[in-house]
Amino acid sequence: MSPDSAAPKPSDASRLVVVGAGPAGMATAITLAERGLKVTVVDQNPRPGGQIYRYPAVPSTKPRDPDRGGALRELLAEHSDLITVLSGHNVVGIYPERRLGLCGPEGFRILEADRLVLAPGAYEYVPPFPGWTLPGVMTPGAAQQLVKSQGVAPGRRVLLAGTGPFLLVVALALHEMSVPVVGIVDTLRRRDAFWKLPSLLADGKLLKQGLDYVNGVRKAGIPLMTGHIVTRAEGRGHLEQVVVAPCDADWVPNHERSRPIVVDTLCVGYGFVPRLGLAQLAGCELTATNLPGGWIPVTDAWGQTSVPGVFTAGDGAGVAGAIVAELAGQLVGLGVAASCGAIEASEAQRSAEPIRERLHQLSRFRRGLDELGSLRKGLSQLADESTVVCRCEEIRRGEVDEAISSGSTTLRSLKMATRLGMGPCQGRMCQPACARRLYDLGLGSLEDIGWPAFRPPLVPVTVGQLAGLNDPEQEPAEAKLVEDAWDTDSAS
Amino acid sequence: MSTSQLRSEMVQFEFDGRQVQGRPGQSVAAALWAVREAVLRTTAEHQAPRGYFCGMGVCFDCLVTIDGRPNCQACLVPIAAGMQVTRQGPAGTSGTSGTESDGGAS
Repeated sequence: MSPDSAAPKPSDASRLVVVGAGPAGMATAITLAERGLKVTVVDQNPRPGGQIYRYPAVPSTKPRDPDRGGALRELLAEHSDLITVLSGHNVVGIYPERRLGLCGPEGFRILEADRLVLAPGAYEYVPPFPGWTLPGVMTPGAAQQLVKSQGVAPGRRVLLAGTGPFLLVVALALHEMSVPVVGIVDTLRRRDAFWKLPSLLADGKLLKQGLDYVNGVRKAGIPLMTGHIVTRAEGRGHLEQVVVAPCDADWVPNHERSRPIVVDTLCVGYGFVPRLGLAQLAGCELTATNLPGGWIPVTDAWGQTSVPGVFTAGDGAGVAGAIVAELAGQLVGLGVAASCGAIEASEAQRSAEPIRERLHQLSRFRRGLDELGSLRKGLSQLADESTVVCRCEEIRRGEVDEAISSGSTTLRSLKMATRLGMGPCQGRMCQPACARRLYDLGLGSLEDIGWPAFRPPLVPVTVGQLAGLNDPEQEPAEAKLVEDAWDTDSAS
Repeated sequence: MSTSQLRSEMVQFEFDGRQVQGRPGQSVAAALWAVREAVLRTTAEHQAPRGYFCGMGVCFDCLVTIDGRPNCQACLVPIAAGMQVTRQGPAGTSGTSGTESDGGAS
């Protein structure tokens, strides 16, 4: 097997660290503990679960459905003798030899790992369109959070827009909590789904689940507008209406047939972008894909990256959803256990076989979904020249286009020419869409355009936190200092 | 749980001088959304209103000042009794909600 690496020769005392406690991270830790190995799980949220199985912040008024997240949390707790969960901790840097810079309630510290598993998950892909920065426009995930975890209705007239089954999931979650959903606008046309039926039939159970969502939406009386796209959001100070137009197979809207819909909340998302910051800081090699975000880490059959001893699993390794993430976590757990010598390579292979079989079956279904949701060029044409494309630095499309015509056709050169991606989000929001725009303009391959570059600290920290002072009364000037420091850094 | 019980458990905090109540455990952004305070800051360059967007700490749009500390992510920080939350305006001052928006305003 391949996890025979330049990484240190392990023993029972191997320091195993998993970053992220979503389905992939939890499954990895549980698999390791089941083999008798000690593992530390670092997670930024207050409780394990990740985004998909988020632990409710306020007690739910309704009894919750039995949720896979709850079961995984219980398994974590059952192995509490072996699994240490550091909730509320951010990894702000990864240094050579798998040393992690952690920022938690007690301040900054270094955590050393012999084997490191990155399970950072993904976030939603929202390319810029006119009005997308207005309060009242949010991601479907943000709306789901409000209603399921925070006990707050996201609006009184909510429209979901974008593409993919997640829109249906969120629409039903809103409907169940009596939030009025005025419709779902999906760029997908019905006939597109028909052509993908052969691959979607590869997994009858998942296909049925998808059809159940569609039926649920129909029963709830929520209009499903397929082959349509939201072209703009409008309002003074807050979202008041959106403009919806029919679109063709390239998602290019027919503006002549557009019409306004009055809403107070728009939930918009076109798929998910893997979180690459950790893999990048660890020095993992990336490879280009045609999916949102454009890049994923290169891995072997056990999820080990190009950096010996660094593994990755779940949506952060390539978006495929919670079921696949959990299986991938199990697989990586076996790979890590074998690489530590805790189990024989032959045993790892044997235990991996049924997991790989299931993953293979799911991958056909996933390919069908991916092809349906693969980004089309109409999406990167929605912004007009006054649309802000970099939400942090408030860079308009016109400024970016000017830089492009002056020869900046890589993310790196655009960043230097315009400051795009140099704000606190480090380009997470703008750069995937900007790279896609360059690609759709025919200005180069994804390799030519390059990937978004992350620098430590991955999340803003104050100088005081870095010094381990953890003073809640931090001087604002110090916080600013750190931001300035990265700006110079990332431009270099 | 009865309404009266819920009310007695509410957490009181301040937003731009206004007293606001939220449920224990709620994030600042969610508690403010619940009382229809959607504009959390006004941007430095275009004086455009911004609010809750990604809900998971990725986008940094929901930045507010909490107890004097600027640029806190309202979607991540839970509310606490007596907390003072203020909107951020241009040049880091505590501003009021803007009425201009980026591109899509009608």
